[in-house]
Amino acid sequence: MARRDNDIWWRMAWRNLWRNRRRTAITASALSFGFVAAVLMIALMDGMLEQLVSNGTRVITGQVQIHADDYRPERSMHDTMGGREGLDLAALVGAAGSVEGVTGVAPRAYGGGLISSGDETAGAVLMGIDPRREEGVSRFGTSFVVGGMPGPGEIAIGNAMAGTIGTAPGEEVVVVAPAADGSMGNELFTVSGIFRLGMGGFDDAYVLVELGSLQDLMAMDRSRIHEVAISVDRADQADGVAARVEEAVAGLADSLVVEPWSVFHEQLYFMTSMMGAANAIVAMIIFGMAIFGVANTMLLATFERRREFAVARSLGTSARSIVRIVVCEGLFLGLVSLGAGALLAAPVVVYFHEFPLDLSSFIGTYSFMGSAMQPLMTVEYSWDGPLVSAVALIGTGVASALYPAWRAIRVPPADALASR
Amino acid sequence: MRTEHLWKIYPQDPRPVEAVRGVDLTVWRGEFVAMAGPSGSGKTTMLNLVGGLTRPTRGKVWIEGEEISALSDRRLADLRMHRIGFVFQSYNLLPVLSALENAEFTLLLQGVPAAERRGRVRELFREIGLEGLEDRRPPKLSGGQQQRVAVARAVLGDPALVLADEPTANLDSHTAEALLDVMERLNRTKGTTFVFSTHDPRVMERARRLIRLVDGQIESDHAESG
Ligand SMILES: Nc1ncnc2c1ncn2[C@@H]1O[C@H](COP(=O)(O)OP(=O)(O)O)[C@@H](O)[C@H]1O
Ligand SMILES: [Mg+2]
Repeated sequence: MARRDNDIWWRMAWRNLWRNRRRTAITASALSFGFVAAVLMIALMDGMLEQLVSNGTRVITGQVQIHADDYRPERSMHDTMGGREGLDLAALVGAAGSVEGVTGVAPRAYGGGLISSGDETAGAVLMGIDPRREEGVSRFGTSFVVGGMPGPGEIAIGNAMAGTIGTAPGEEVVVVAPAADGSMGNELFTVSGIFRLGMGGFDDAYVLVELGSLQDLMAMDRSRIHEVAISVDRADQADGVAARVEEAVAGLADSLVVEPWSVFHEQLYFMTSMMGAANAIVAMIIFGMAIFGVANTMLLATFERRREFAVARSLGTSARSIVRIVVCEGLFLGLVSLGAGALLAAPVVVYFHEFPLDLSSFIGTYSFMGSAMQPLMTVEYSWDGPLVSAVALIGTGVASALYPAWRAIRVPPADALASR
Repeated sequence: MRTEHLWKIYPQDPRPVEAVRGVDLTVWRGEFVAMAGPSGSGKTTMLNLVGGLTRPTRGKVWIEGEEISALSDRRLADLRMHRIGFVFQSYNLLPVLSALENAEFTLLLQGVPAAERRGRVRELFREIGLEGLEDRRPPKLSGGQQQRVAVARAVLGDPALVLADEPTANLDSHTAEALLDVMERLNRTKGTTFVFSTHDPRVMERARRLIRLVDGQIESDHAESG
């Protein structure tokens, strides 16, 4: 077989595809609608996962965090970044902040202590923060019921705890906390505000203190912090950002670890992975059914052309060439469907990007794993979904042709002479 | 082409069909042979056997000295491509290919370069009255035209043997005569060997050798004068 003449099989496949225009049109429309559905489903799912992750990480944790490598999981107050000497905080924040994809950097220190107001006392996690920097990472700033973020010498308390100990903005509370030097820190703070994040385990346990004030209380240098929380512009890119941040801050202290949310927020990562996997299985089932349907149609077409295959074989055509004709037809069907599907999908994706599906009238807002979800189905522009769907679509065309091709080469050449 | 004690038995209920029963036949290069016989006498089966489309139950077939009944499917396909041309009762052109593409199909399988293929097809088309029909698809051709394209396809690969199964059965007598003219001329000018089956007495008259088949056996074998 001369190589240059292989185009005859493509030509025959292409012409075969258009012999039964109606059948091809129906099959191709079904496939292209499937493509549009797959693209849209993946886009909506991506939007939902993004929202889920964003809600799970934008309230407090951020999507990337830096710690000393031995800080987690014990979270001992001694394990500050850079050891006992700490590090150049301004340089660290600057280096992390200049990494591409980073939208906010917030340094934090943690301690444990007792808060007393009058006769009432409660145990609390003391979170030392830079109020201005937290704006770019967490939602503390926008969650105040009364008052606002703490300045030096001030403290913000969750509404649940404020209720327990009975205090209000402007009043004073006593904070007692073990300090890094083994002594007991003891200080009077003025309540700057009452916040409500709406998350269990936080509003009744955490208090916010200005970072410097907490360091003073705990007898730690201003260079010592436990955590840097970082926000990124796209949660699904956190891994890449984490790697770049790690590079950027590597020279500032020994043994810093930079982790994306998928590491420090295991449950959330597990959840989203599960949802992604479920999504993939659904997609596979859909395309599996499509393969079945298209294969059936192609089998019918192959059966109708039995005699032609027999004639081609009787003239000496190889089985390979016959397979090529049938498989190419499947390939062309996939390509035609893809063309039509792409034309259909583009406006649909643009529409849902511009006008997200608002399902709140059906289901209201809901809370999931401690994060409030808006039932807004958003579609982000991305090539991933369309590419995966395109490959699946063309794969469907080709896979559908395999069994019919096998049947075609089983047609005995003697059938060419058989009378009708 | 030669056969020896050729048998073909189709296993079938209630009992096997003996379609060809011990045929010994030799056809020499350049002959123009008709195989005649009533329907069911085994003509098609004979052509299938000689053309390497089915394997004999017993006996042997030689094509240009090569015994073919033991060849693999692949070798048989090769043999058909290079040495045998087929013409079918129902034309059997490939409907998605133009007249020219149909005619050059065997040449293409043989690996003949495109320019040479086209040249040979056009030349033959001129010779057999198909000029100007090169780009037509089979459904746009008359029965006679289709069958001439089929004959072109069969002879263009320079086969040792062209087997034609009732090539005129679907043609009116005038068109049938014209087709036989074409076959006869190709036989004369190119020396192509033709073996065709028929049950039409007028077609039998045109053969230079007439073999009568009855119940899978040769009843008579006459060389016609002229
Ligand atoms: N594939 C087959 N399977 C079973 N029987 C067959 C097959 N092909 C032909 N026959 C039988 O073999 C006999 C000869 O058939 P055939 O060769 O077609 O004769 P003709 O071409 O002379 O009409 C008939 O009885 C026919 O029914
Ligand atoms: Mg017959």
